[in-house]
Amino acid sequence: MGWLIRSGGVAVILSVFGIFYFVGKEVLPLFRSADVAPVGKFDALAVPAVLGVDEWGEMPFFYDGGDKVVFLSVADAARREIEVPGLAGLKITAHAFDPVHLRVSLGLEDGRVGSFLVGYERKFSGDGKSIIEPAVTAEPWFSLKHGEGAVTAVSYGDSGAGRVIAARRGEGAVATVSVLRLGMKRGLVGKGKLSLLEEVEVTKELGAEPLLLRASQNGAMVLVALADGGVAYFLADSQGVSKRQTFRPFDGVSPRQMDFLFGGVAVVLTAMDGRQEQWSLFRAGRDGERMFGESKVFPQLGEGRVIFAASQRNRTFLTGSGRDLSIRHSTSGAVRWEGALDIDPVTAVLDAKGGHFIAAAADGTARRYSIHDPHPEAGWRAFFGKVWYEGGSEPVYQWQSTGGSDDFEPKLSLIPLIFGSLKGTACALIFSIPVALLAAVFSAAFLPLEIKRVVKPVMEIMSSLPSVVLGFLAGLWLAPLLETRVPSVMMMTLVVPLAALATGYVWCRLPNSFRNRFAQGSEWIIVIPFLALAGWIGWSLGPVIESLLFVHKDAATGNEIADFRLWWPQAAGISFEQRNSLVLGFMMGFAVIPVIFTIAEDALSNVPESLTAAAAALGANRWQVVRTVLLPVASSGIFSALMIGFGRAVGETMIMVMATGNTPITEWNLFNGMRTLSANIAVELPEAPVGSTHYRTLFLGAVVLFAMTFFMNTAAELLRQRLRDRNKLV
Amino acid sequence: MNAGPTRETTPFATTGRSRRGEPCIWLTAAGLTLGVAMALGLFLLILIKGGASFWPGRIDLMEVSIDGKTELIAGYVTQESERRDGKGILHEEIQIFRGNKDINGEAFKYIDRAHILKSTRPDSLLLVERIEFGPAIVHGVALENSQGRIEVSSPEFKPALKTMLKQGAVARDRLLGIERKRIGAISRELEALSRAEKSGSVDTRTAASRREMLQKKFERLQAQAAEIRAEIAKSSFLGRAADGREVTVAGAALLGVFESNRAGFAGRIGEMTHRIWKFLKDDPREANTEGGVFPAIFGTVIMTLVMSLFVTPFGVITAIYLREYARQGWFVRIVRVCVNNLAGVPSIVFGVFGLAFFVYFVGAKIDQTLFSDKLPTPTYGTPGIFWASLTLALLTLPVVIVATEEALSAVPRGVREAALACGASKWQAIQRVVLPASLPGILTGVILAMARGAGEVAPLMLVGVVKLAPSLPIDDIAPFIHPERKFMHLGFHIYDLGFQSPDAEAAKPIVYATALLLIVLVVTLNLTAILIRNRLKKRFAVSSF
Repeated sequence: MGWLIRSGGVAVILSVFGIFYFVGKEVLPLFRSADVAPVGKFDALAVPAVLGVDEWGEMPFFYDGGDKVVFLSVADAARREIEVPGLAGLKITAHAFDPVHLRVSLGLEDGRVGSFLVGYERKFSGDGKSIIEPAVTAEPWFSLKHGEGAVTAVSYGDSGAGRVIAARRGEGAVATVSVLRLGMKRGLVGKGKLSLLEEVEVTKELGAEPLLLRASQNGAMVLVALADGGVAYFLADSQGVSKRQTFRPFDGVSPRQMDFLFGGVAVVLTAMDGRQEQWSLFRAGRDGERMFGESKVFPQLGEGRVIFAASQRNRTFLTGSGRDLSIRHSTSGAVRWEGALDIDPVTAVLDAKGGHFIAAAADGTARRYSIHDPHPEAGWRAFFGKVWYEGGSEPVYQWQSTGGSDDFEPKLSLIPLIFGSLKGTACALIFSIPVALLAAVFSAAFLPLEIKRVVKPVMEIMSSLPSVVLGFLAGLWLAPLLETRVPSVMMMTLVVPLAALATGYVWCRLPNSFRNRFAQGSEWIIVIPFLALAGWIGWSLGPVIESLLFVHKDAATGNEIADFRLWWPQAAGISFEQRNSLVLGFMMGFAVIPVIFTIAEDALSNVPESLTAAAAALGANRWQVVRTVLLPVASSGIFSALMIGFGRAVGETMIMVMATGNTPITEWNLFNGMRTLSANIAVELPEAPVGSTHYRTLFLGAVVLFAMTFFMNTAAELLRQRLRDRNKLV
Repeated sequence: MNAGPTRETTPFATTGRSRRGEPCIWLTAAGLTLGVAMALGLFLLILIKGGASFWPGRIDLMEVSIDGKTELIAGYVTQESERRDGKGILHEEIQIFRGNKDINGEAFKYIDRAHILKSTRPDSLLLVERIEFGPAIVHGVALENSQGRIEVSSPEFKPALKTMLKQGAVARDRLLGIERKRIGAISRELEALSRAEKSGSVDTRTAASRREMLQKKFERLQAQAAEIRAEIAKSSFLGRAADGREVTVAGAALLGVFESNRAGFAGRIGEMTHRIWKFLKDDPREANTEGGVFPAIFGTVIMTLVMSLFVTPFGVITAIYLREYARQGWFVRIVRVCVNNLAGVPSIVFGVFGLAFFVYFVGAKIDQTLFSDKLPTPTYGTPGIFWASLTLALLTLPVVIVATEEALSAVPRGVREAALACGASKWQAIQRVVLPASLPGILTGVILAMARGAGEVAPLMLVGVVKLAPSLPIDDIAPFIHPERKFMHLGFHIYDLGFQSPDAEAAKPIVYATALLLIVLVVTLNLTAILIRNRLKKRFAVSSF
């Protein structure tokens, strides 16, 4: 039987520690960098000017600017050529590739611009295998009215409804740039016809020779990189085409590469000297226009040709110069992978699922690599650092794990949640610690034993109150009740302790003959009517104070309204919410006070009687005994009680979910809410897809929470054991 | 009172009546008062609010002038409040529950007291409980059944109403039996059939003939149900709302009629008992805002029992190991610190672990080996009551370990040594002497663990609790026990109704009642534990030497 107990005991202990192993195992993948492995090599065309691939990374196509598109099956090296439609023997003088729509845009020698789309269709045969069928579809051509000569650069932006083409004609100083706005004319039946809305020549507004053109994927922006190092930003919307800004990313050094990232509001630029930066659109002031500004600096690339391919599902991009390539993530600015290829690539492409990339060299050899990077947006910087998100005007700590659209940028900073947890805990402790410690001191030092036998279980039962009940009361009963009564609450917290002190002051000046009628230790009963009176006075003083101090002047009507809810945002510049920290702190008291009380009371009660008796024998009065002997001796026990109280408050979930409003903001404001780590897990984990970054980040939140409480509890436990040993010695 | 050490009776009795520091002592006294007042106040609040949600009030019929028009509104006053408008003028507002959601849209209305012209309580107003749209508040008009129309003034009205209520209940029962049980059985059989066919254990022809038979059976049952419906559809209750609009409640939907204003005190007590009973035994209706909480009670109890079934043996074995078998050194000391710490780990962390380990790891493995024919629909690889129980067992393990260890160490050394001296082996001494002596202590620990488990909600939200479970985890469908099913829980019911409900105002009474129920459950468990502990203390106080 002994071995059964032994093995059972050890097994339970091991499995308990297995918990932490298991939770940790879920978190670890977040901190791994990407794995890249070569999975194939093949020969392509001699000069693969455009390289594209299907979403499965299985059938890349190569286009050299000629009249044929070459498809190559990775599986069996089968080669297939499809003719580019609609060329009519004319020479192609410019081309560009948009990996989102698999669109190759073209410019012809006669000044026409147009494009063709590459499509793939996956067909499943009966035996479970599938084949990929490529296709090439022609799109309409448009003749440029402005400028002369062949088209030398082209870029096509397409958001479905609105489209824009940017094209350059001629070379060098005589080059002209035109922006074409296209629109779908919707007929009653059918898909509608693509037609030219307007062509605007923007050469005069450039001020320098145009080098690179990029139209954004949302079809509303055109960027033109200039020889003097500037980049001109044109907005093409229903009002027409207008220049908004010229920015200089590299102080005079002109960009060598310029491409939009997924989402179309940030652009990555690389200078001639290898510096790489991200510029994104944001509003600098409160209501200014959205302009490009520098938001990130990436590690410098080498000199030479720049490879760039943006992912179409998140904010990673493949970049590099020479043989050295790296995969970078724009949000955190992290380098996910770095490595050297065995070919000298001239172009590279990422597939739509982000599972592969293909790089091709000038001599026609190509390599296919698999990428395993399930959590590119994770990392220490993303979780704990300030991050400059797209659209923001500065780096911030922000938690916003899910968004409405596909191109949403997850914001995974845990700092607001940790802040929320600490703020909630602080609010709870500010109220709980005084009450619990005062009660513990009185109970340990003065309360008659027979009453203590009742009071302690009452407090213990209070500690086992389901927190969901407390949370519900906080959110639906207390919050609406206190919403209009903030000044009253303030007055009560001021008046009630004063009343207790005053009662004591007056009481000890009453004649002893009167005082002796009441047993010592019954002060907590005697004080009840005075406290009640003080509470009532404080409560009714609230409106008076409100009408004196907290008067809000309505800007529109000029009326003066005495209402704290209106006054606070005006005076402090921060919001007032119904479910605020005040309510939370009070309700958390019900959960935290009994915990602190019980442990502190035990510590105080266990102070050896010889010490207190000695103090009393030396003539100390009862308060002096408490102050000079009881409190110092039990101090480490009290401290451990506080730490356990902290642990309880920081991990509390249901009250936090129900009473805080759950907005992840970092603001030291007593009158708004917060979002805590625990509440965040409870609210978001049921909806997070298993194994996703979001899911694992929530696990990381649990680990942080666990670490916080475990550290506090261990420290408390050690303190308590030390105290026990010390008291034994005494 | 037995005379203990002096300190226990009156501390510092000899210190005299000094004035110095007295205010501080009064401050500490106020701290204790506040703490105790908070605890008692909370219990009292829940008791009053929860109790009030069952108490039948009086229906007021009010003449209200709104924008110059006079309107008649009947309902219960549910809340009174003050509001200051934009000009700073104070308004006294009342919130009344006027029911009749089917004709009014909103069941609650706010009225400015100043707008009320006249308020009466006519006896003819009735509270009509029904299956849909929440209660109706109407003047009774008549009943219609197969024999014809019976006016409210007729002496046959009451007996006829009683018969109608009974008939309605019988019909609902029969319909439930047909639709949920028998038609459910057919659909389960069809499902099993198609799985068997897919796996090849039944050939297509037998399957087809069987399917045809089941289809016929299904049609027969449907016809039966339609017959019952047609029968009950002949009767209905007619009422007139305060504003004169007609309200008809079909016989099948009528649950009860209460004469709020005519009932005396005894009648109201009777109604309250009836409501409490209904609350405990009925299924929820109307997105949980009406009806009872029986499935939630059932789920909470079953989950807590299964949890204690797991936590007791494991906790006790671990404690015995730590206290009796392991060598008392630094390792055991560390383990003990960790176990104590575990009690302080946030419950949500256990929920996170339960989800990752039990549900997505163990559950998925079980599905792959035992229920692979049902995949990709998960059987155990999804949150359920079994995983919830296991998660909570882990959560409450430290409570049992600590309590058991304390109980074991409280057994006097002499008793143990006496057993060993009589020739008992170590295990025999533990089994025959130490364990029986520490049983009350262990029991206290288990009960405390149950109290903690019953009140915990946060981890359950991750591992198996749902707002509305279609079926109980134990029922009369083979194999009778369904540990993989999701379940309802009193605590989650409070959260869900209070914060996720489409009609939070209407749900409030049920939330308060549920909170009361949960608190009664937890406090009862705690009190039991405390009582056992106190008796235990006395026993050891006698036996210690």
